[in-house]
Amino acid sequence: MVMKPIRVLIAKPGLDGHDRGALIIAQALRDHGMEVIYTGLRQSAVQIARAAIQEDVDVIGLSSLSGAHKSLFPKVVEALKEQEAADIPVIGGGVIPAEDIPYLESKGVTKIFTSGSPTDAIAVYIKQLIHKETVQTPKKIAHIGIAVESIDLTLPFYQHTLGLELESVEEVESEQVRVAFLNIGETRIELLEPLSDQSAIQSFLTKRGEGIHHIALEVNDIHTRLEQYKQQGVPLIHEEPKLGAHESQIAFLHPKAASGVLYELCQPKSEE
Amino acid sequence: MTRSSNYDHSKQAWEKDVEKTTARFPERKSSFITSSELPIDRLYEPTQNEEQYIEEIGFPGQYPYTRGIQPTMYRSRYWTMRQYAGFGSAEETNERFRYLLKQGQTGLSVAFDLPTQIGYDSDDPMAEGEVGKVGVAIDSLHDMEQLFHEIPLDQVSTSMTINAPASILLAMYIAVGEKQGVKPDKLTGTIQNDILKEYIARGTYIYPPKPSMRLITDIFAYCQTHLPKFNTISISGYHIREAGSTAVQEVAFTLANGMAYVDAAIEAGLEVDQFAPRLAFFFNAHNQFFEEAAKFRAARRMWAKIMKEYYGAENPKSWKLRFHTQTGGSTLTAQQPDNNIVRVTLQALAAVMGGTQSLHTNSRDEALALPTEDSARIALRTQQIIANESGVADTIDPLGGSYYVEALTDQIEKEANEYIDRIKKLGGAVQAVEEGYMQREIHKAAYDAQKRLEANEDIVVGLNEYQLDEEIHQDLLRVDEALEKAQIDKTQHVRNTRDGSQVDSCLEELRKAARSNDNVMPLIVEAVKAYATVGEIANVMRDEFGEYTGM
Repeated sequence: MVMKPIRVLIAKPGLDGHDRGALIIAQALRDHGMEVIYTGLRQSAVQIARAAIQEDVDVIGLSSLSGAHKSLFPKVVEALKEQEAADIPVIGGGVIPAEDIPYLESKGVTKIFTSGSPTDAIAVYIKQLIHKETVQTPKKIAHIGIAVESIDLTLPFYQHTLGLELESVEEVESEQVRVAFLNIGETRIELLEPLSDQSAIQSFLTKRGEGIHHIALEVNDIHTRLEQYKQQGVPLIHEEPKLGAHESQIAFLHPKAASGVLYELCQPKSEE
Repeated sequence: MTRSSNYDHSKQAWEKDVEKTTARFPERKSSFITSSELPIDRLYEPTQNEEQYIEEIGFPGQYPYTRGIQPTMYRSRYWTMRQYAGFGSAEETNERFRYLLKQGQTGLSVAFDLPTQIGYDSDDPMAEGEVGKVGVAIDSLHDMEQLFHEIPLDQVSTSMTINAPASILLAMYIAVGEKQGVKPDKLTGTIQNDILKEYIARGTYIYPPKPSMRLITDIFAYCQTHLPKFNTISISGYHIREAGSTAVQEVAFTLANGMAYVDAAIEAGLEVDQFAPRLAFFFNAHNQFFEEAAKFRAARRMWAKIMKEYYGAENPKSWKLRFHTQTGGSTLTAQQPDNNIVRVTLQALAAVMGGTQSLHTNSRDEALALPTEDSARIALRTQQIIANESGVADTIDPLGGSYYVEALTDQIEKEANEYIDRIKKLGGAVQAVEEGYMQREIHKAAYDAQKRLEANEDIVVGLNEYQLDEEIHQDLLRVDEALEKAQIDKTQHVRNTRDGSQVDSCLEELRKAARSNDNVMPLIVEAVKAYATVGEIANVMRDEFGEYTGM
C-alpha cells in the first residue's frame, strides 16, 4: 500500500533567531519522504496553530533555543485546542534542560528531543507516531541454540538424562549445519552441529568451544521490525529475513546490539 | 622555487618510506580535508623566497598584516579578555559585571534579551516569555543607568551585542556617560551594529535592508564627530559560522558584508579613511586548530588588500583588520559537558595563534543554559592560563612560516576570494542577502556536516563516539520567571513618572528626521534622555521604514 506522505510543520515560536536546527530537521524529514512546511522566524502560538490547520499537517515540530520554551510550547498546545485541532501532536527541540521535559509533557507536548538527537531517530519517531507503528513484544523464546561438536554424542544427555522429547533432526544446507530440536514446554532447545569448516557454528566452536550460541525470539512482524531496526541504526547481521529450519523466516541481530548476546528473530511459517 | 639535488634526494627517499609504511599501515582516511573541504596534504614544504615573504606575509604591523596588526603583538599587551554576559534584570547583570571586573576581566560585553534586540519593550505582547532570558532586559535609560551603576565608563571599554536598535542603545550609553560626567569622546567600546548577518544567520532584524543600512551610516557619521574612539560596527562572521558555514564561508561572507558597509558609507558621502579605522570584526574559533589560525591570518591579509587596493584607502589604520573572537558555541556538547573546557581551550589557542585583539571563551554549560558563575570563571581562567602559563604569547605569530599554516592561509584566501567575486557579480552583499544566496550556501554546508556526523564520518567525542550513560543534569542558571513581571512594572513606573509631552515631541522630531535624510542619531540621543523607551523609539522607525518579514 502506498501511504500518503506525512506532512510536518516546523515552527519557530517566539523571538529566537537560531534556525540552523529547524532548517536541518526540515531538510532531514524531507529526505525521509515527508512534506515539510517551515514557518520562518517569530511566529506566535496562534499563527503556528493556524498554519498547522491550513496546511493540514500530521505533526508540529517546535524549535526554541532562547530559554522561552516553558512559556511558548504549552501555548501552541493551547492554541491548537482552542481551534479544535488538539489531535495534531506537538513535538519540540532546541536548548531544553532535561528537568523541563516532564513539565512540557504534562502540558501536552508529546515528545522533546534534546541537543544531539540524530535526525534519523526523529524521523523514525514521527513515522511511528503517525502510522502507529509501535513495536510489539516478541511472543516467546522460540528456541535456545546450543553449539555442539556432535549431535549424536550430545543427544543422550537431553533425551535420557533430562528426558526431553526429540522433535526432529534436519540439515540446513545454506548454513552448513545440522540441527536437532528438543521440545521443552512452549519452547525448544536447538542443538547445532557444523557440517563443514565454512559453517558459522564451526568458527564459534573454534573460538569459544561448545556452549550456548544464540537465543531465538518468535515474532510475527519480521519485515517491518527489521525495517525499523535498520532505520534506528540497530546493528544487524541480516537486513532481510532468510529461510530457516521448518520453513520459518529468520534474521540475526548483531551481538553488539545486545551486550554480546546473539539474538535471532524467527517468524514461523504461517498456517494457511 | 628551485630545489637543490640534496633536497630532491631526501624527498624521494621519504616518498619511498611512505609507500612502504602505508602498505603495512594504511592511512586513517583515503583523503584528509578541513571543515571547508580544503584538501590536506601529507606534508607541506617550503614554498617562499624573500620577495614573496615581504609581499604576502610581511612583518608584524606591516602591510598586508598576515602576522598581526601590531609590531609587538602580545609581547606588549595580551589580548583583551572580554566575556559576554547579561541575564535577567539590569541589577543582576551589573553584579555579574562587577564580579568579572574583580576577577581580572579587562572589558565588558553586554548580552541583551531578545525583546530589546528586536526593539520591543518588556510589556509588549511579542515579548511574552522572552524577557531577560538570553540577556539583560533594557527598556528605558533607567535600566541602562542600573546596568552601569558604579562602573566608570571612562575606565572600561564596553562591547554591546546590539544590531537593529544599535542606535538606541548607543544613545543610552552616551546618556549614562554624561550622567557620570564622562564626555562622549572619552567613551570606548563597540556596538555590533551588523545588520546584514542578522538577515543571513542570526535573525534579530527589524527593518528592511535599505533603511537598516541608512541607520548604520547615520551612526558612522555621528560617531566620527562625537565618539571618535568608539568602534561603530563589529562585522560578524561569528553567527554565520554558528549557523553552519565553513571556515572559508565565514571569512568570505563577513568580508563581503564589510565591503557592503564601506560602499554604503561612501555612498552616504563619508570619506573612507575617516570611518574605516573604526570598523571592527568578530570571528568564531572552532576546533580545527590549524584551519582556524590560518583563517584569521587570511582574513587579515584579504581585508588589507581590499581596503588598500580596491577602495584606495591611504591611512594604514584603514587597512588593519582588528577583530574579536568568541569560541564556537555550536561545537559544545550537552553530553559530558566538562569536555567542553578542553574544546574551548583548543579554540582559544587558535584565536591567539591567529592574533585576535580580544577574546570571549565560552563556558562549559552553554549547550544547556546560560553559564553559572563557576563556569564563567573557568572560561575566563582558561584565557588567563593561555596568556600567563603557556608561553604562546611570548613571540609574535608563532605559526608563521609553518609550511602547513602558510599553505592553508593561501588556500583560504583563494577560496574566499572566489566567493567574494560571486557576491560582487550578484550585485554585492545586500543584494545577495535579499536573494538568499548566503543563506542557501550556509544551509547546504550545515546539512552536509550533520549528515557526516550521523554517518560517523565526523566524530564528536561524547556525542557519536565515546558516549556515557549519563543524566544530563547539573547546576544550571535559571532566570527567575517572576522577573518579567518586575521588569514590566519598572518600565510602567518610568512611563508614569517621566515628562510625557517631552517624550512625544522628541519622538515627533525623530519621525521627521526618519522621513527626511537627516541623521537620526542626535534625535535618538535626545529621546532616550527624555526616557523614551527602546520600543517607543523603534516603533516610530517601524512606522516609517516598515518591517522585514524574512525570506
